[in-house]
Amino acid sequence: MSFIETERLVTMANQIADFFAPYPSARRIEGVRNHLRNYWDPRMRQALYDHIDATGGPELRPHVLEAVAVLREAAPATEAKKAYAGPPRD
Amino acid sequence: MPIPVKPDRSVTTTCAYCGVGCGFKAETVEGRVVRMIPWKEGKANHGHSCIKGRFAFDYYQHPDRITTPMIRKNVDDPWQEVDWDTAFAYAAGEFKRIQAEHGTTSVGAVSSSRCTNEEIFLMQKFARVALRNNNIDNCSRICHSPTQFGLSATLGAGAASQHFDSILQSDVVLVVGANPTEGHPVFGSMMKRAVRRGARLLVIDPRRTETVDSPHCRAEVHLALRPGTNVLVLNSVAHVIVRERLYNEAFVRARCDGDDFELWMDLVGDDRYSPDVVGPEAGLDPDDIRRLARIYAGGPNSTIYYGLGVTEHSQGSTGVMCLGNLTMATGMVGREGVGVNPLRGQGNVQGGSCLGSWPHMLTGYRFVTDDVVRGSFEDEWKITLDSEPGLRLPNMFDAAVTGSFKAIYIQGEDPIQSDPNRHHVEAALRSMECVVVQDLYLSETAKLAHVFFPGSSSLEKDGTFTNAERRVSMVRKVIEPLGGLADWQITVGFMNAMGYECHYDHPSEVLDEIARTSPAYSGMSFDKIEALGSVQWPCNTDAPEGTEVLHTVTFPRGKGSFMLTGYLPTSERATDQYPLLLTTGRILSQYNVGTQTRRTANVAWHDDDVLEISADDAAGRGLSSGDRATITSRYGSTELTVSISERVNPGVVYTTFHFAHTMVNNLTSDLDDWATNCPEYKVTAVDVVRASIAQPVAGS
Repeated sequence: MSFIETERLVTMANQIADFFAPYPSARRIEGVRNHLRNYWDPRMRQALYDHIDATGGPELRPHVLEAVAVLREAAPATEAKKAYAGPPRD
Repeated sequence: MPIPVKPDRSVTTTCAYCGVGCGFKAETVEGRVVRMIPWKEGKANHGHSCIKGRFAFDYYQHPDRITTPMIRKNVDDPWQEVDWDTAFAYAAGEFKRIQAEHGTTSVGAVSSSRCTNEEIFLMQKFARVALRNNNIDNCSRICHSPTQFGLSATLGAGAASQHFDSILQSDVVLVVGANPTEGHPVFGSMMKRAVRRGARLLVIDPRRTETVDSPHCRAEVHLALRPGTNVLVLNSVAHVIVRERLYNEAFVRARCDGDDFELWMDLVGDDRYSPDVVGPEAGLDPDDIRRLARIYAGGPNSTIYYGLGVTEHSQGSTGVMCLGNLTMATGMVGREGVGVNPLRGQGNVQGGSCLGSWPHMLTGYRFVTDDVVRGSFEDEWKITLDSEPGLRLPNMFDAAVTGSFKAIYIQGEDPIQSDPNRHHVEAALRSMECVVVQDLYLSETAKLAHVFFPGSSSLEKDGTFTNAERRVSMVRKVIEPLGGLADWQITVGFMNAMGYECHYDHPSEVLDEIARTSPAYSGMSFDKIEALGSVQWPCNTDAPEGTEVLHTVTFPRGKGSFMLTGYLPTSERATDQYPLLLTTGRILSQYNVGTQTRRTANVAWHDDDVLEISADDAAGRGLSSGDRATITSRYGSTELTVSISERVNPGVVYTTFHFAHTMVNNLTSDLDDWATNCPEYKVTAVDVVRASIAQPVAGS
């Protein structure tokens, strides 16, 4: 069984993506990535990764998938933006 | 005429009810509190009080009070009274067993805004050093967590920009989703004073509240919007400001990020946010939206006060950002008489937010993922801390239902009664192997607990509270703790039993620790607060006596950031089956879920929750005032007495949630804010029928 029900995680991820939808593409993806990194328990993130690996995540917004790809490439906590709630700024 | 009781002792302390944090003199006779006298020198209340703080203090000695620790193996077993050491050892043994079997992160804790700053700080320390994880949350999760998120994202500080007295220098007061005359009465009186002196009052609220129209208080413009359309309407207000060039370009150029401002203008300036488009969707006259925008932008000093009517939505954080954007666009921030101010619910919910009781943040709103910040706490506590965010309270419950989360330590909260989707919370608690509840009474949640620590009321301990204007005030022990230990001592006892040794002789030592680790509190101490009466954070070398108004020169984040606040309708919508939208609020004499005020004579003023419904909707259902009605939503049902009211528009019904037996959270959905998981309490699609002909519904 998923750490938290998959439907719940998908809803939460899509809600985050919907907030960042009005931003230009790069900031949209980075905004979702930062939110998942700084606010989600790692087991929630892993459950989302597992769902994407198993199904491709067809119900997820495209920029959730892009943000997850960025998040999985980079890694450690030290790379996360510091004390910052919003989308990245240049 | 009765002779007044002559007190033998008088102690100045701070009220624990709402976020105003009034100063009181608690008078006692032979160790029993007999009177609460408003403190004239109190900087939050200036000698005023409401009928909760003044009269509702007897709860501390109610017969329901539990004063002995209790344990039991299973929730169906009878409680066994034990001494403190046995209770600590049992709880610690269970938590350690569960962590050994299910992992370090299978347990967590939640702190209470009825407790002091020092107690909240110790709760998050308990999670981090004794449980060795970041599974710690606080009750602002279900009320003002969007404030912390939304104001941090725009202005850089998740707290009120002003002190209460600032409103007396305002020319325009905009109240959004709040009813201060009932919910924050002492501040409400100050707001009325400002209105009597000529301030223009604007209100955005689905209900024709007492703030909209009552003696000495009449709104010049009231936008009685359809529940769930806050962001749509606030974007429309911004649309008028942008299209009519009412913004303060000089302020924006000097203080804000220009690129973000351009993006924001493009978004809110779009035709979809024109009042002519928004008005029909939100149930408003477009000209009223224009009037409100022009008055607010015209100032010259306009201020915003808001409440849970903004935050408790699926776009709660976005709604707060809308308010932050408005203040920056019009230059209404950074001086007396302006600003944006959350009216916090509980007495110390601001402290709950400030003191690191978050799964992703340490004190001062600093991320656990930040190595430098985390390192400063590791140096102080001599222990390595988890660098990953923990679980929020709703996610702890989610994970419990799937079997991944097994134990929780709950300080002074009753989530079964206060959190959304009661069935889900009950299922989560029932699935846990150890639930520790620290409270005054056997609450609904405590009925599903395995360990009960008898907590202490705010009359029984020393410490500090931080109110809605960032004011840190003294809480002083008036009587000895009825259970033998103050809440801070209980948490320390549990922490030591878990194997992390720490010792404090007095809560002042905890505030010293807070000051060592938290920049905004770095200049604070009990001695300083005693000397000055109270201190507003930030209090540091730059502001050794505290700070009344924030953002005067720059924002904590540097440039202010306009956030893009696209409107997304909630998925909780009225349908043929559920044609009415239920929204909730508070009444003057009762407080939150009523745990304390219901146990006082204040029930003489208000002894039940009622359902306000418009005459049109009542007539269509054959309902009259006084009838019993069954209210059903997609999630459950409950029964309330009907009151036909002109305060709600057709299509909207309203109730309070002060009484456990009405179980209003049976109705509310599990929808929540995109950023914080704050529940959407303010919008629930329901139907209302006469109780006698109601049919049982699934899930009720």
